[in-house]
Amino acid sequence: MSRLPTGGLVDRNQPLRFSFDGKSYQGFQGDTLASALLANDVTLVGRSFKYHRPRGILTAGSEEPNALVTLRSGARAEPNTRATTIELYDGLTASSQNRWPSLGFDLMAVNGLFSPLFVAGFYYKTFMWPAAFWEKLYEPIIRRAAGLGALSMLPDPDSYDADHGFCDLLVVGAGPAGLAAALTAARAGKRVFLVDEDSRMGGRLLAELHEIDGDDGRRWVDRTIAELAACPRVTLLPRTVLFGAYDGGVYGAVERVSDHLPTPLPGQPRQRLWKIVATRAILATGAIERPLVFAGNDVPGVMTSSAVQAYVRRWSVLPGKQVVFFTTCDSGWKAVHDLLRAGVIPAAIIEARAHVAPDVKALAGAVPSFLGAQIIGTRGGKRLKGVDLRDAQGRTWRLDADVLAMAGGWNPAVGLGCNLGARPRWSDELNAFLLDHPPAGMAMAGAAAGQFGLGAALASGIAAAAEFGTMAAPRTSDDPADGRPLWHVPHRRGKAFVDYQHDVTDSDVALAAREGFTSVEHMKRYTTLGMATDQGKMGQVNGNALLAQATGKTMAEAGTILSRPPYLPVAIGTLAGHHRDEHFRPVRQTAGHGWAAEQGAVFTDAGQWKRAQWFPKAGERDWLESVCREVNAVRTGVGICDVSTLGKIDVHGPDAGALLDRLYINTFSTLPVGKARYGVMLREDGFVMDDGTTSRLADDHFFVTTTTVNAAKVMQHIDYARQVLWPELDVQATSVTEQWATYAIAGPQSRALLAALLPELDLSNEALPYMGALSFRWLGVSARLFRLSFSGELAYELSVPASHGDRLIRALFELGRAFDAVPYGTEALGVMRIEKGHAAGNELNGQTTAADLGMGRMMSTKKDFIGRVMAQRPALTDAARPVLVGLKPVDPAARLRGGAHLLPKGADAIAANDQGHVTSVAYSPTLGHWIGLALLAKGASRHGERIIVHDPVRGADVEVEVCHPVFVDLEGVRVRG
Amino acid sequence: MRIPCPHCGTRESQEFVYRGDAAPVRPADDGAMFDYVYLRDNVAGVMREHWYHAQGCRQWIVVTRDTRSHAIDHAEFAR
Amino acid sequence: MADLVQMIERAGLSLATVMARKGADYGAIIAALGDGELHATGPGTWLAVSDASLDELPDRLRGQASVSDQSGGYIVYRFAGPGARRLLQRGAFIDLDPEAFGPGAVAVTAIAHMGVILWQVDAAPTYDVAIFRSHAESFRHWVEGMIPALAPISA
Repeated sequence: MSRLPTGGLVDRNQPLRFSFDGKSYQGFQGDTLASALLANDVTLVGRSFKYHRPRGILTAGSEEPNALVTLRSGARAEPNTRATTIELYDGLTASSQNRWPSLGFDLMAVNGLFSPLFVAGFYYKTFMWPAAFWEKLYEPIIRRAAGLGALSMLPDPDSYDADHGFCDLLVVGAGPAGLAAALTAARAGKRVFLVDEDSRMGGRLLAELHEIDGDDGRRWVDRTIAELAACPRVTLLPRTVLFGAYDGGVYGAVERVSDHLPTPLPGQPRQRLWKIVATRAILATGAIERPLVFAGNDVPGVMTSSAVQAYVRRWSVLPGKQVVFFTTCDSGWKAVHDLLRAGVIPAAIIEARAHVAPDVKALAGAVPSFLGAQIIGTRGGKRLKGVDLRDAQGRTWRLDADVLAMAGGWNPAVGLGCNLGARPRWSDELNAFLLDHPPAGMAMAGAAAGQFGLGAALASGIAAAAEFGTMAAPRTSDDPADGRPLWHVPHRRGKAFVDYQHDVTDSDVALAAREGFTSVEHMKRYTTLGMATDQGKMGQVNGNALLAQATGKTMAEAGTILSRPPYLPVAIGTLAGHHRDEHFRPVRQTAGHGWAAEQGAVFTDAGQWKRAQWFPKAGERDWLESVCREVNAVRTGVGICDVSTLGKIDVHGPDAGALLDRLYINTFSTLPVGKARYGVMLREDGFVMDDGTTSRLADDHFFVTTTTVNAAKVMQHIDYARQVLWPELDVQATSVTEQWATYAIAGPQSRALLAALLPELDLSNEALPYMGALSFRWLGVSARLFRLSFSGELAYELSVPASHGDRLIRALFELGRAFDAVPYGTEALGVMRIEKGHAAGNELNGQTTAADLGMGRMMSTKKDFIGRVMAQRPALTDAARPVLVGLKPVDPAARLRGGAHLLPKGADAIAANDQGHVTSVAYSPTLGHWIGLALLAKGASRHGERIIVHDPVRGADVEVEVCHPVFVDLEGVRVRG
Repeated sequence: MRIPCPHCGTRESQEFVYRGDAAPVRPADDGAMFDYVYLRDNVAGVMREHWYHAQGCRQWIVVTRDTRSHAIDHAEFAR
Repeated sequence: MADLVQMIERAGLSLATVMARKGADYGAIIAALGDGELHATGPGTWLAVSDASLDELPDRLRGQASVSDQSGGYIVYRFAGPGARRLLQRGAFIDLDPEAFGPGAVAVTAIAHMGVILWQVDAAPTYDVAIFRSHAESFRHWVEGMIPALAPISA
């Protein structure tokens, strides 16, 4: 065991059991999986993506590229989870990835032998020939070998939550700068959100030894958090990743509500998606330590210096017995100092700089150091055994080591600040990319702003919140923060890694440059550097530096890429939240839905609405039998259909008629009160937008209906017309789709049924003729009766407020028993409208004109209306255009299919001979054969001609006769009865 | 993106439906109708746009927005 | 969980959309409603809510405003309890903090992709939420899934 006897922020009174790759271990509350594995001397945790090289834990944070494990098992298994951020809980199980048969003995490591072939861009150069082999051989093999973890393929049993936050100040990162900024604003009474991805707030103060206000830095953290927690206007969100900055001061974050527990508590979500609106934001996201690029820099045991420091100080774990430091900056010496104070004596310091300030040297006490030296190689495969170094005089030395701590310098974590397009700029002074010009309303603070010293970080946090207030800066001794980057240690043998997760080496970057991919953006895509789940946090800047060297540019000239959200991976389930499975989107149910469900109706979706499609009866063979029964029942008796989903709009006011005249192709201002009229609306480009029946209920009140799916679009259109196009008109419009439950009552017996329901109404043909409208009261509520027919039979539409819709449908069927009344659904509705040649959605497809649909003569020549001018364009009035016709198969047993294309008899089935297509089909029980509606070139003059319906995808050609689109009751006698 | 509706206050853009350039005016002259329906400037910069607050007050508004940065200067009713 | 949030349907309400006509006297419109509630949902547009009938409203407002009965179209739920604000904040992307939204304030917005009209009844806070009748089941499902998550968990 490598646990130090005392110290750290782990709770030794709470031991936890966990397993990794099937073996059982013990850790403590407060451990991460990584710290607990290191405490148990487990240093091999994965195999690299391409070469399957043994990999260990590199860091102590979310930037970790190597220690990707599959957490948990079964349906809750989560692949590619970073061991460094998994909070240990009792019973945790995890397994390594990307290895077979085991982590220790991975057959795929043979890839390493072929590494000269697997260089950057190899996918583009190999697997090209023969071309046919790609789909059948190469791609399946690559697919099997590719990837890291695997999904469980089981449904996710967890639930995900969402919340919205509003604040004056959002502080991202609760290290010293973030805490100082948040406290400043909180003391000024502002609404503050403080977000940190770690389970504990405090940032670097949890891992580094510092004195603040004469006390341990961690005490300042505890006091500050306690004061913030006591402020009612402050929201503290630990365990929360701020993953993206969006326009308008909107930020996205994921709160890990239950990931630190074995399972979520009942009713609790696993994670919560936050959308936060912040007037101001301060990014105090710290800095990420750079690895150094030398041969063998990926052997397990090679870690960042700050990680070694954190494992020792925060988790009281010693990652190894012989710790050697390879450093290019003062923070490495500070880390040595912190280890000494914890009772750990590093073996040596290899410093690349020739000179180091005396106070920095003093930090390392008696630890031997080599100045002006470099690590030129490592020894060990599955575990570091030793390092080779070259000193300032050029002599080589060999040291035993099982941990090599790299202090390569610091990259300010400016990623979030780049989400809106601001580009970081290289500072030669600080050897870092800085975001000088963050987006409006956003400021950088602390190490993220290049303020690497603790005192400077605290001061910059307070300064960043200056517009809210101020406070005295806490006293601390400023830690030295000097350094000089060493971008590359040349080598002849071995591999020096730049992007650990995608196995991109220094020679891959050099190859990219030689092949002409000389911009950082091209290098990224060509080598895949920075494209793994860590999004280049550890490797991008090193890669940029190597590219700059290879292309003779300065760092400033080479630049860097922009970071994109999400900063860390976000589960799709978290983004979906509540909206999954049958609740993927809201469902709209009519007032009659409950009754229809009781009858066993089969439902279909129309937009968000559920509509009964047909009502199967016991013993019926299939839907066709049910639908035919329903159609026959309507045409011979009476049927009732729920048509509540159609759009309904009240158009009111002195100029209501005038407005409708400008929207419809036909005239409505002349419609008498108590009458209904069918109308067609065009788009301004002359094509049909929607149709419906509009009734006049009073001089200043029109009741407009639309198709179900276009209800919102027509409402928007009406509002545009009255608010933008003709604001001088005095007209109001409001949607009443929800207000009215409407049932179609259709068939020869429909009048008799209604008379039974409404005995006090005069329903004679004289009192309520075809296309009449009547308002009355039913059981104390408003009701309306319209004599309209979509089916072609004697028919009515009866409306009551939706709150009474259930009552009405039950009353109708109670009385309907005497008439063998039958419920019918959208299928039967569709069969009958096709039999009557009514255009519907398939015909109103956005590409047809009123004339195409046989309604050309409805277009008024006496008024302006939307679409009038463009409808007259030559292409829209061309006599050769496809127009609406009916089709009946010559062989009465043949089936027609929608979408099939129309060819003249004997013509080749090529596009040049295509004369149109079938828009709607139905089996007509009334006629005893299939019928169709179609758009056929010059169709109006071709009735009686025989053509071919051509459907190569689904079946054989069918010969049909072109006919009038109205198949049943052409004169329309029945509706007028 | 957040849009400052003159009635409802600043709201998430998902509450709105975008229509397009607010500059074209429906012409009295039939000859100008083609341009009105089809021709648009592709502005890289500040534009006045028609948006409909579909899930709010149902008002059409004109939003002055920079298409490069999404920065919205202000919004007013489209009357 | 009932102690955190109470959700009760305000049954038997009458509702109507009122839209002012050109040159209307807004004061007269508001006075015409008498004891009922009038919630501004847009310029010159209100949702009238009353426990009594609103059948007389079109006549009282003749020439001043256009009235559409909406009594069947909306269901109004009253939310009360210590978790009411947090629950509705989870759903609505508008600021419900007392600094930004108080008794009498009304907002037309969306919760879980469903259009709502939301107003604050008192400083407790108590809220009323009007939803489309057709969305009732989807809305109730959202509320039921959200309420357990309001309970604090020990970290």
